[in-house]
Amino acid sequence: MTTTIDGSAGVTTNAGGSVNPSTTIDGINYSCRAWVNFNGTGTVAIRASGNVSSITDNGTGDYTVNFTTAISDANYSYSVNNNGNYGVAQTYASSLNTSTPATLTEVAPTTTACRFTTNSSVAAFDPKYINVNVFR
Amino acid sequence: MTQRIIYPTDDGGVAIIVPAESVEAAMKDIPAGKPYKIIDTADVPTDRTFRNAWEYSE
Repeated sequence: MTTTIDGSAGVTTNAGGSVNPSTTIDGINYSCRAWVNFNGTGTVAIRASGNVSSITDNGTGDYTVNFTTAISDANYSYSVNNNGNYGVAQTYASSLNTSTPATLTEVAPTTTACRFTTNSSVAAFDPKYINVNVFR
Repeated sequence: MTQRIIYPTDDGGVAIIVPAESVEAAMKDIPAGKPYKIIDTADVPTDRTFRNAWEYSE
């Protein structure tokens, strides 16, 4: 059972009184529209995902996430983070909206897919843990 | 998933689609007009050292 706090903002509490952060604020729901956790090296494979039909391995450190259900428009926000091959959280720059790392051709996100590259400090790189989150 | 979809890229390489649930659901992710093949995952090399040199063959 949930109870509206102020009757208009849409923030609700459960019966115990704690705020349920998954509900709307001001009537707008800024939900995660898609997410995926995948292995980008060796046998590239998806560990788990939501609203993702597939990923495309375009080359070294070059991936596309394809959505099952299209996002309402292409102006969504998406973030990519990846850890190093050895299980240690290492920081690699993720050059978003780019394709072939050597030429850095810009690829705009679409309602059905977003493409990105992962790079070490010097070159394209295939991380073991890649996580992509899409918000709109 | 035990299968992958491959298709040639415009720069002469090969793209590999990794389905999340099923190959059938991932078929829509093949660019329009591209030839493609469905292959076993085991047929994709695991050594990616020269990944950008991989090519699509009929």
